[in-house]
Amino acid sequence: MIQPVPISPLCRTRRRPMTFARASLYAFVVLAVVSWGYILMATDSGASDVVSANTWSNAGNFVRQLSGVDSPARPAYLEADRWLVTGRLALNTLAMSVLAIVLTGLAVLPTFLPGARNISNGDLGGAPSRFGAVLYHAVRLVFTLTRAVPELIWAMLIIFFLSPGILPGAVALAVHNYGVVGRLSAEVVENLEPGPARALRAAGASNLQMLLYSIFPQALPHFLTYLLYRWEVIIRTTVVVGFVSAGGLGREFRLSLSFFHYTDLALLIMWYLILVVAVDLLSAWLRRVVTRGG
Amino acid sequence: MGRRELRLLESRRLLTLLLAGVFLWSLSSVDWKGPLIHTGGVGAFWDFLSSLFPPDLSPGFLRLALTASWQTLAYAVAGITLAVLIGFPLGVVASGSVSGSPRTGLGLAVAVRFTLAAMRSIHELVWAVLFVAAFGLSSLTVILALALPYAGILGRIYSELFSQVREEPLRSLRASGASPFRVLLYGRLPMALPDLLGYTFYRLECAIRSAAIMSFVGIRGLGFEIQLSLNDLLFGQVWTLLLFMVGMVVVVDLWSTRVRRSLVS
Repeated sequence: MIQPVPISPLCRTRRRPMTFARASLYAFVVLAVVSWGYILMATDSGASDVVSANTWSNAGNFVRQLSGVDSPARPAYLEADRWLVTGRLALNTLAMSVLAIVLTGLAVLPTFLPGARNISNGDLGGAPSRFGAVLYHAVRLVFTLTRAVPELIWAMLIIFFLSPGILPGAVALAVHNYGVVGRLSAEVVENLEPGPARALRAAGASNLQMLLYSIFPQALPHFLTYLLYRWEVIIRTTVVVGFVSAGGLGREFRLSLSFFHYTDLALLIMWYLILVVAVDLLSAWLRRVVTRGG
Repeated sequence: MGRRELRLLESRRLLTLLLAGVFLWSLSSVDWKGPLIHTGGVGAFWDFLSSLFPPDLSPGFLRLALTASWQTLAYAVAGITLAVLIGFPLGVVASGSVSGSPRTGLGLAVAVRFTLAAMRSIHELVWAVLFVAAFGLSSLTVILALALPYAGILGRIYSELFSQVREEPLRSLRASGASPFRVLLYGRLPMALPDLLGYTFYRLECAIRSAAIMSFVGIRGLGFEIQLSLNDLLFGQVWTLLLFMVGMVVVVDLWSTRVRRSLVS
């Protein structure tokens, strides 16, 4: 019997490295030139505004209005009761982010295993079935669809069905992040060391037991780490989603801007930054807890 | 089981309980008394779903969707290029590998790292809203708003990639009398370049989404058209635009995956 000759790894190194990448780099440079050309020529680019003194004095005015130095009234960020009122909105925003991340986790948990190729083709236990293959493609399609559409556009759609408040914002954030975390988690399973699962199978473990004692414990720390990373992104996006879903800081942000309550706006930005820093620190700490001994 | 492990286990259990409590608290801040779904929300939902069969595929609208996709792509690419131009030098400084004297290098690196963190702590659309209020609406304002947080992310990742390269080639460069700048140019940069490129391509996909939502401040593109079609309740058009959005993201995703794969092998 004739065995096919395996391609030696040496053949690979002889090929000129980075060919596709280099071509892509050139393609990107061309794309960048065309894009910049389009923006400077065909749109209202504002390139002439950069050198106009008017623009810069307007920008200076905006900063002075944010700080409230010109106005006789006390700026909002020096009023304790304004801090309390907006603090409640900040808490609402935080709740929105927590709700979003939990919804994401709950949705991903039952679906990321069927979305992994080595589960659906029976590599890590179970038997390959047509159902598994169909499920795999369906789950992957949903991941792609949800991930490709940004949170704000999901929010614009969801606000048609759900009453304004925290919930539609959280759902919009969760839908987008479902696709992001789902895909990452499925890829973690695909890259799992098959050893432990096969050892369990050899020892006579059932499919469920393999799932519970090998695949889940191996994938769980990664899954939680991704969720915590996404929490950092989500807290930054809550305000943006709040622009349309009318929950938390976002709504107030928009109102202060349109009513020219600029010192209120400054206060809201301060709360926003406090939330971002707090969540970043909390997430970093929780990630350490998750990976420690995990 | 050692005492330390036991304590760890207990602290984990405590933490789990705490997190469950936080989740319940977040549920409690949702207003459950009012109707969760609009009156007519269910009907609107079915209208929306049924408009997928088929979406608006008239040639005129397809042309519009194509133009909008191009506009979004152009903003994304312009934003990323600006982000690379800002993020690359900052990343070099943040990696602490430029200065000859370690002390000034470290001080500078810490300052730049702080700047990068500040840039990425604000979402690009929030930057855009603020910049439009300050400078007025124009393409450049919006591209700058898009580039700032991306430069913050790219700068951090670049600096990490610069610090992660192998030390031995750098040491031999230094031993042969190369200045820190030369070490960077001929040592760190070529070694980190594949990862740098791969990560930047990955970010391009995210930039497309960010460019699409810049419609919120009035920039044309996919988000803008989606907003218009939604206002007119033309769900068929919304679906067409969403499919264009998905298609563009998928194409860029495939492209960047292939770039990364070709860089690894």
